[in-house]
Amino acid sequence: MMMVDPLILTLFLPLFGAIAAFVLPRAAAWVGLLAVLGTGVAVAALARAVLAEGEVVTQLGGWAPPLGIALRADGLSVAMLAMTAGVGLLVSIGALDALRDLRERQYFWPLWLLLLTGMNGVYLGTDIFNLYVMIEVIALAAVGLTVLSGTKQAVRAGLEYMYASILGALLFLMGVGFVYLQAGRLDFAGLIAVEPSGAMSAALALMVVGLLLKTALFPLHFWLPAAHANATAPASALLSGLVVKAALYIFLRLTTYMPLPDEILVTLIGTLGAGAVLWGGVQALRAERLKLLVAWSTVVQIGLIFIAFARAGQVGLSESWKAAALLILAHGVAKSAMFLAAGRIKDEIGHDRIADLDKSDTRPTLAQFTFALAAISIIGLPPSLGFIGKWTLMEGAMAAGYWHWVAVTMIGTLMSVAYFSRVFAGFLRFDRMRGELAEHKGWALADAAPLTLAIAAISLGLMAAPILSFIELGYPFGAQQ
Amino acid sequence: MTPDLIYGLTGIAVFAIGLVGALCAQDRLRRVLALKLCSVGAGFVLVVAAWRTPPADPDPVPHALVITGIVVMISATAVALALIRRLQTLEAEDDDG
Amino acid sequence: MTDAATLFDLLLAGSVIALAIASLTVRDMFAAIVLFVIFGLLSALAWVRLSAPDVALAEAAIGTGVTGALLLKTLHHLRYVTGKLGEGQARDLTPIATVPAGVIWANAAFCGMITLGLALAFLGAPQAGPGFDSLVAEAMPASGVDHPVTAVLLNFRAYDTLMEVVVLLAAVIAVWQIERGLSDAPAPALGEVWQGFARLTLPAIVVVGTYLLWKGSEAPGGAFQGGAVLAAVGLLLLLSRIYVPRPAHRGLARWAFVLGTGAFAGVALLVSGGGRVAFEYPAQHAYSLILLIEGLVTISIAVTLAALFHGREPVAAPAPEGRNDT
Repeated sequence: MMMVDPLILTLFLPLFGAIAAFVLPRAAAWVGLLAVLGTGVAVAALARAVLAEGEVVTQLGGWAPPLGIALRADGLSVAMLAMTAGVGLLVSIGALDALRDLRERQYFWPLWLLLLTGMNGVYLGTDIFNLYVMIEVIALAAVGLTVLSGTKQAVRAGLEYMYASILGALLFLMGVGFVYLQAGRLDFAGLIAVEPSGAMSAALALMVVGLLLKTALFPLHFWLPAAHANATAPASALLSGLVVKAALYIFLRLTTYMPLPDEILVTLIGTLGAGAVLWGGVQALRAERLKLLVAWSTVVQIGLIFIAFARAGQVGLSESWKAAALLILAHGVAKSAMFLAAGRIKDEIGHDRIADLDKSDTRPTLAQFTFALAAISIIGLPPSLGFIGKWTLMEGAMAAGYWHWVAVTMIGTLMSVAYFSRVFAGFLRFDRMRGELAEHKGWALADAAPLTLAIAAISLGLMAAPILSFIELGYPFGAQQ
Repeated sequence: MTPDLIYGLTGIAVFAIGLVGALCAQDRLRRVLALKLCSVGAGFVLVVAAWRTPPADPDPVPHALVITGIVVMISATAVALALIRRLQTLEAEDDDG
Repeated sequence: MTDAATLFDLLLAGSVIALAIASLTVRDMFAAIVLFVIFGLLSALAWVRLSAPDVALAEAAIGTGVTGALLLKTLHHLRYVTGKLGEGQARDLTPIATVPAGVIWANAAFCGMITLGLALAFLGAPQAGPGFDSLVAEAMPASGVDHPVTAVLLNFRAYDTLMEVVVLLAAVIAVWQIERGLSDAPAPALGEVWQGFARLTLPAIVVVGTYLLWKGSEAPGGAFQGGAVLAAVGLLLLLSRIYVPRPAHRGLARWAFVLGTGAFAGVALLVSGGGRVAFEYPAQHAYSLILLIEGLVTISIAVTLAALFHGREPVAAPAPEGRNDT
């Protein structure tokens, strides 16, 4: 009986896909699409297993941790895997059409599939050194995707991103060194039992700073806007929607096994999140280009996720992670839709200067509609998943009496309405152009993908209850004890 | 004074020197060099952590981790250097034209 | 005896720190790279003192040798594109921004505080504390190999090693992608780069080669070191222009890059089933499977490192866009 473990397939299918796409550059697109589709099926099989058993664990090589490395899937990891596979599949379909240059195409697929391998590895990982290797797989593939267009701005942004990535990974690695020094083991499960000590605090500090740099929490966000704004549309969608979530996810997991030792630190994380919401909001209001505005909105959303994490302080962490997870999922789906739509608008109009959006004689109406739908979820209007996420955040903060988090979230929401209105004004004003207005140049495959994602971002809000109960499967945050 | 103590503190110092360099380098190439110093510093800490007072053998697991780290670092370095070469070429072309 | 050893350790540690500072502060970039290479070799020596010969060799060969060669190659390229090829001094080739002295000192003070904190944490941690020692000793007989580091790399934590080879693959794909269409700096062959590289790293190559030959007799060891040695041969071939990559070789190069990853992942997957999970080699075949994986991974590492040094994907020079995709 050759029944292959869906856990293993989730990792190996994209890996083999990347290899095949690299050695067969002419068939890269179809090989790649097939591999992403296969990964989706493997994730679905894994979801079934998790539904049935709560958690699925495979000890690679038959060696039990701490000597060996185990892969573990629970509700949260499967939700992340599913979001990645779903968004990835739609972005891939969009990329079939959006990437016209043969060279861009031939490199996009292997890099994207390696990125998928790395992200799936993060969501299944339980060993901190292995996670270090995984974030490097992600980093190299992501930088490769950032500079796909080869423009000077993109390469410059890619280099900054690379520096930040390497530094973040090395801080994390140094932290791993200190964990080993104190605990002598590197598996998540073994870290719970370790007594707090100087070395463990140092390790936690190093790893958390490294991860915050990788996930671009204010004020360590400096590399993100340029990198995400200058990449080609499918790459931006993957970078903003999916890549930053990997480090965020590790942060969520790590702090369960190595809890932040003090309430002050939780508040500090939340305060940085508030800084991101306010500063990112101001920058989005000032951005001159559409893609840059969308990139700054990612900075804001990451801040919001950290506020969700800190919303009820240390005692509330066992519930707060759910709000953070909802926001992560909502942002992943909506932001990839938004970047793809922004890319379509730029393709059709020929530029993405916000001030001149209404001065074009072409109206990419479908892409504009998609952008607006995605914005509903990002702003957090009902019934979108973004709304549910924000609502869960504020509910928890109110219950804990932390009104300042509610206030920051409200201000952030108002600011996001303001900066997206700048874009909508450009979409809706028709009086600036004299003469015939051309409708958009026909339906394109690249429009279907973001539209589907944007509709998903809104309709998933209606399924919030099953999603919430699903991510609790297997007790990702140790509610069992 | 045992070797692990001496080299452990050396590793931390090297890591910190690399950190200063990575934050303050005024030259792209120098920044890559600084990051490489950080990785050597982290390697020192892991190798030291694996050390056991002779005649006991050291723990092989951290050794394997450092070897992995070295290969990962050369990969990242190669990509960073390729970006630097590309960027410098693009900038030089701009200056000419 | 102990005192002499301690003195040696202290001197070595001092030199390592001094070289680290010097390589970041010396104004000439070429000198900085040379200092860095010496720093790397001395660090490797320190790791030999800490009974970690495998790590020391990997650091000397890959972390120092190949990294040094890459840095020198990049320096050569930068001097070429900025028209400073003939100048003796090479500083401020790629200035990003001038950092005010105040910021530098603030950063230095900040990092000094971090160092202090880390040092205190380090001193507070248990000396020669808990580890995997007994677990590894227990599992060794079932690993299929005799050398513990090999057992960890290719059996106990084979998944890490697979992903590390994946990182290398991602790097070469990214580098090809980044440098596509980039024109070549005139041959660095037998120039400054060649000489600098040869002088600095040939001793390391010889040491590694000898060690591996000796090592090979007692245990299958060091895919990475072996790969680095072969890569060094590749670098020499490239530099001396005995081998010039041609567009026609691209297909083969692609296969060579993925060979190690593909074979490693393939074996990991194929051994599963029948009650075994991925990476769980059947006991009677463990030795030969590990040897097979190591051999193929060595080839891939060697070719990939050489390709990372060469950089650009070999493309037919002025071919019109869209035709160079074979």
